[in-house]
Amino acid sequence: MTHIALAGGALLILIGVWGMLTKKNIIRIIIGFSLFDTGLHVVLVGLGHLKNRTAPIIDSDLPREAAASRVVDPVPQAIVLTAIVIGLAVTAVLLAFALKLYQSRKTLDISELREGNND
Amino acid sequence: MNFDPMKIPWSLLGLFIVFCIGMFIRGFVPKITARVGKRIGIRIYQPWFDYVKNFSIQTSITHGYMFYLGPVFRLTGGIGMVLFMPLIHGSWYFSNFAFAGDMVLFLYLMFFGTLGMALGAGESGHPYSAIGVARGLAQVTVAEIPLVLAMLAVAAQHHTLSISQIVAAQQGGIAHWTMVTNPVATATGMLALLGSMMNSPFNVVLAPQEIPIGPPTEYHGTFLGILTTNRSIFPMAKIIFFMNIFFGGATNWAILILKGWLIYMWPVIVGVVFPRFRVDQSIRWFLKVPLLLGILAVALV
Amino acid sequence: MINPILIIAIALGTAFSLGLLKKLGRELSFAITLIALAAMAFISAQWLSAFLTYNMLGPVVTTAGGRAPFVIVLQMGHMEALFTLLINVMGVMGAFYLHDRLTENGNGAMAVLLAGIMGLNGIILTGDIFNLFVFLEIASIATAGLVLLVTDFKSLTAGFKYMLASGLISGLFLLGIIFLYNTTGTLNIRELLIAVPGTIKAGSVASFLVMMAILLEMKPFPANGWGIDLYSGAPAGVSALIASASATAAYFVLIKLLPLGGTVAYKIAAAVGITTFVASNLVALSQRSATKLLGYSSIGQMGLVVGIYGLNYHLGSKAFLIIFSLLGTHYLAKAGLFWLSGIVQSTEIDKWSALRKSPVLFVLFGIFVFALMGFPPFPSFFGKWELIMGLVASKLYWWAGAILLGTMFEGIYLFRWFSRALKLDNQELAKPRSTIYTFVPPLVFAILLFPAGYYTSTYTGGIGIMGFAPLLFIMLIGFLDFLPAYIKNILSIAGVAAYSWYLWPHVQGNTFKIVFAGIFMGGALLALFAGFYRRGKHLGFYPTTLLMFLGLGILVDASNLMELFYGWELMTIGSYFLLIRGERSLPHGYSYLLFSLGGSLAMMFGFGLAHASAGTIELSALNHIHVLPALAYSLMLVGFMTKTASLGFHIWLPGAHGEAVADIHFMASAVLLKAGVFGIILVLSGMGNSEPYARNILLVLGWIGALTALIGNIGAAFQESAKYLLAWSSIGQLGYIVFGLATMTHLGWLAAYGYTITHFLYKGILFLIIGGIAFRVGTADMYKMGGLIKRMPFSFLAVLISIITLAGIPPLVGFTGKWIFYNMIVSEHMFYQGLVVIISGIVAFLYLFRLIHVIFLGQLKDKNRRVKEVYPWLLIPAYAMLIGVMVLSMFPNTLLGPLGRMLSTAFPKGALHWDGYTASTAYGTFNMPIIMAVIGSTFAVVFLWLLLANRRAVKVKQFNIFYSGEAPSRPELTHFGYNFFAHYKKAVGFMAVPLVTRFWDQVSEGLHALAGYGRAIYTGNAQSYLFHIVGFVVAIYLITMGGLS
Repeated sequence: MTHIALAGGALLILIGVWGMLTKKNIIRIIIGFSLFDTGLHVVLVGLGHLKNRTAPIIDSDLPREAAASRVVDPVPQAIVLTAIVIGLAVTAVLLAFALKLYQSRKTLDISELREGNND
Repeated sequence: MNFDPMKIPWSLLGLFIVFCIGMFIRGFVPKITARVGKRIGIRIYQPWFDYVKNFSIQTSITHGYMFYLGPVFRLTGGIGMVLFMPLIHGSWYFSNFAFAGDMVLFLYLMFFGTLGMALGAGESGHPYSAIGVARGLAQVTVAEIPLVLAMLAVAAQHHTLSISQIVAAQQGGIAHWTMVTNPVATATGMLALLGSMMNSPFNVVLAPQEIPIGPPTEYHGTFLGILTTNRSIFPMAKIIFFMNIFFGGATNWAILILKGWLIYMWPVIVGVVFPRFRVDQSIRWFLKVPLLLGILAVALV
Repeated sequence: MINPILIIAIALGTAFSLGLLKKLGRELSFAITLIALAAMAFISAQWLSAFLTYNMLGPVVTTAGGRAPFVIVLQMGHMEALFTLLINVMGVMGAFYLHDRLTENGNGAMAVLLAGIMGLNGIILTGDIFNLFVFLEIASIATAGLVLLVTDFKSLTAGFKYMLASGLISGLFLLGIIFLYNTTGTLNIRELLIAVPGTIKAGSVASFLVMMAILLEMKPFPANGWGIDLYSGAPAGVSALIASASATAAYFVLIKLLPLGGTVAYKIAAAVGITTFVASNLVALSQRSATKLLGYSSIGQMGLVVGIYGLNYHLGSKAFLIIFSLLGTHYLAKAGLFWLSGIVQSTEIDKWSALRKSPVLFVLFGIFVFALMGFPPFPSFFGKWELIMGLVASKLYWWAGAILLGTMFEGIYLFRWFSRALKLDNQELAKPRSTIYTFVPPLVFAILLFPAGYYTSTYTGGIGIMGFAPLLFIMLIGFLDFLPAYIKNILSIAGVAAYSWYLWPHVQGNTFKIVFAGIFMGGALLALFAGFYRRGKHLGFYPTTLLMFLGLGILVDASNLMELFYGWELMTIGSYFLLIRGERSLPHGYSYLLFSLGGSLAMMFGFGLAHASAGTIELSALNHIHVLPALAYSLMLVGFMTKTASLGFHIWLPGAHGEAVADIHFMASAVLLKAGVFGIILVLSGMGNSEPYARNILLVLGWIGALTALIGNIGAAFQESAKYLLAWSSIGQLGYIVFGLATMTHLGWLAAYGYTITHFLYKGILFLIIGGIAFRVGTADMYKMGGLIKRMPFSFLAVLISIITLAGIPPLVGFTGKWIFYNMIVSEHMFYQGLVVIISGIVAFLYLFRLIHVIFLGQLKDKNRRVKEVYPWLLIPAYAMLIGVMVLSMFPNTLLGPLGRMLSTAFPKGALHWDGYTASTAYGTFNMPIIMAVIGSTFAVVFLWLLLANRRAVKVKQFNIFYSGEAPSRPELTHFGYNFFAHYKKAVGFMAVPLVTRFWDQVSEGLHALAGYGRAIYTGNAQSYLFHIVGFVVAIYLITMGGLS
């Protein structure tokens, strides 16, 4: 299970990077970024997983005393939550830029957006 | 060596003798060039008559104080060159003020008169004067090259820059003359001499046809008299210099006259044989054979 | 102590409240923002002062009272205090500058700014690597938000590219963090640093990814296209924040995390950093957009500090001093320049001449540029010095060489920009508008550079208080620039006199120093005296002049290499401003500065080798260097020869001096060039002539000197302008001096010293007089003058005497120099070099005659008939020097005696022997008083004779000449002056072909072609930039796997 998660995450990362590098449409590039980000999150959770353990949520099924031996590492899970939020924020900012760029040039082709090249 | 007032009259006497020799040669040389050209030529005492005439001309004009001082500079330079030159070897009376300076002084004193004259002529405002000076300066920068090399070779050979000591080192027969002991330097020096004696092929500075008599164009009367005085002294100073450093100097006046006359004849003979160079041609000429010869001369020391 | 967590709390709290309190007036919100930022800065400052006062450990603060890793850990130490202070001060200033934009965009924008600054503080304070990631993301989102303060297309694309790139980079970072956590089980940086060497190998994926991310944050070449576009696309105030605050924070991350990568990481950082520094500066060469240039320069500077951190183990205890001084200068100067770019409102560097319309802003511009280039008294000067000393001492020659090369490239474009702004016409351009908000921040940062420099110097040692105190006086003169010139002149003379009074005890008893102190300080007094002829205010002249003379004074006073270099660089700045004052001096002043810069860099490397060899920077380090001695001495000589304008480095001089006005020409030529001579004497004294390498160097140097003399003099003969003629003549004269020194003989040095002093005198006269004439006549072209002897007799006399001296004609003092040369040439058998030197002396007659004839003799032009004699302000100093010439002519032993005694300690053989007034060597003799007496009395007698015989002489009018019976109607027709030596040119014109100029032109073209080639990778396409990032990571990975680990 862990391996599948890790492999899937890695695959997502690669697909995402491929999308960012090859697609011409800004929206697709942003989607590529999202895939890349999601892949990262999957890898993150995958690496934190320990065999035969449960989610680090302390409730009636999981007494506080037994937590240390029965749950997976809670840190990656905490981290991934934060990372998802940050990823969301970055995506939002990117989309905001995409919107403004489209409003300004009526195109989403990234190769058209070259003002500011070196001349 | 201290200054002795008794040197003054003896030096003046030496100067006067040199002047007379110069006056004689200045009559003699035009005679030769005329004869080569199948003409009769001037009388040999003509320069003396001209001299008197120049000083007796009534009208006299000046263009300004530098113009006035030009001939003074010129003659001072010429006289200075003689006064710092040992004329007769071994003679206290005719060694002049040679102890106060050496070859370097002689070389640079040459320019004292030239510069003053050029400035004086310049103030006249005549373009021919400036053209003549420009030509002369350009030519002298290259004519000096073999001269300097020959001087350096001789100085290195005799381990001194002092003219008196170079003459002393050459005593004891013709085999001791620099001409024999250092023929390359002597040849270089003699080529350099051609460039400074105002004879063809290197006399475009005065170029009687193109720029009537060059720098002294505006000078006349007394000014010209002073200048002709210098023309009898200045070339003689150079000739005596060459005699001293290449041909063993002179131990009495007869030898000085003989050697001086022979050396003087060298540029004259070359002059009547070869036509005149333009300035750029003479510059290129000096940068070929004389330069190589000069380098050989210092390389052999 | 205030809890450091408040820094974050204040920022967050204020940002949220601003978001909530939309109803507040915008000015009020802005004030609140500023107060919040100031409070944050205050907290940092208070911690920093505590750390500096007490030697204590900083606290670790946790949020919510928990324990790491479950809570945020903040760490405050002296480094953190310093870095947060830098960021918060920048926050205050940056926000202040952005006042208009922020109030226009409302509370949201201010909240974004606060969040950004908070993020940067968090990056520095946090002790947890994941937290670091979070703060990095906050900062970059906030940056993107700030870029949107201006929503033009340019900033939109820039922001978009930035977000994409930083998304990719932080992805890599996150991945690295995950792997790190997986292998070590901790996220606490302190624990990670302890755990790393044991648990993960350097080069493993985790540390590699983290390392790549932090390096990429520093915008390494070539994966930095997005960074350059961000710098140039963002609004100026935001770029300033990015360049100063964000880059500083990112650099701190590098300092904190690079140890995770082990030693390999340091190597990679060094290589990547220095490559970035060299490459970005090279690529910038062909760039004409100001903001782009600033972008390249920022990236280059950060690359440099990254590289230095990579090399810090080699630099020992000085490493952080170097880093802070360079980083600090970059922080202050780059922010200032970006702010100015916002005021100028044009990205084209040629339009920056508009800045001249606001002189204060322009002065700030100059301060920032010179600070960036590492000139004194700014901190980067000390940093670069210590850096090169440290690198060379650790035998890292190639690194040092690369850094110097990169600095040279940076100088080329920064100084081009500055020089063009200084000189280009700005009539058509509008005056840049600055408000109190845009004006104060750059002013504050520029002022801060000075105490920062002084503060840095106290850590390096080497420069005493007298390196700084006179600068205050110069600044005072600068503030008084609105006063009329004569008042400033009096003040300046008083200043120079006071400095001379201070200097005297330091040089007393040391003939070598007395000579040069005399030339420098005497020259200063004479030049300033001559300055009374000027009317008006003469803006900017006095501070720069005094700066130059202060540099020269420090040079003489120097007791160690650093002081020497300090003085040298101050003198370079001052002289640059003087030389570029001329009307058409732009290209010449610029090339002067470039040659000077190249020379100082070469010199610095040489000093580094000396220091490495001796282990000290005392002047004695120059003696008998044994670490790469040939290279060391050659580099130092090259450095000094750029100032003596020796062959190969002379091309700046004719234009720079030829366009300068009288008193400046005097300073630049008669005085300034002697600084190079001073240096060459120092170097050669240290080198000696016993080693085989020394002989080779001396042979080359001797030929350089001889050929410089020849080329200089021939060049002078072909000039139409009197000033250019004198400039070329200076080249030739300095050639004699270099030749004399290179002979390493008693007589050679005696002649060189003699020329150094006499050249000062006779050339000084010529510069003042000719400059004065050019001022009166309105042109320096000689053929437009003529016959001026009638109008300017005093000038004529002075010029006549100086050219007789220069030509070496007896009986004046110039002859002494010629005579010594002859004796030396014959006794040392240096015939070939000697011949060249002697012939160049004779070639000098050409231009000297031309100079005096074409100006003073010949025909007076109609328009000059009423021209007046040169100002007495110029004549008086000239005649003072003339008296000096005459005294030395009559009694050369007053000068040569003491010099000979001094030289006898170094060169006991072949000294000049004095017997009364008779000087003699093994070869020749001369007695100046007798020569003078004989020539003088002959002259007098002949003159009296002529007066007697010629008493009826009548003075005639100008046109009364022998002219085929006609009178010439126009003076122009008979004034022979133009192309005077045409025949000479026909024969030897090949010597005057500007081969050296062509060579340097080729070098310049080659560099620009290379730069254009390198620039081609910056396509402006976001995807290419992303590809560069991926490619960079892959390439470094392959290289690391392949070799370094």
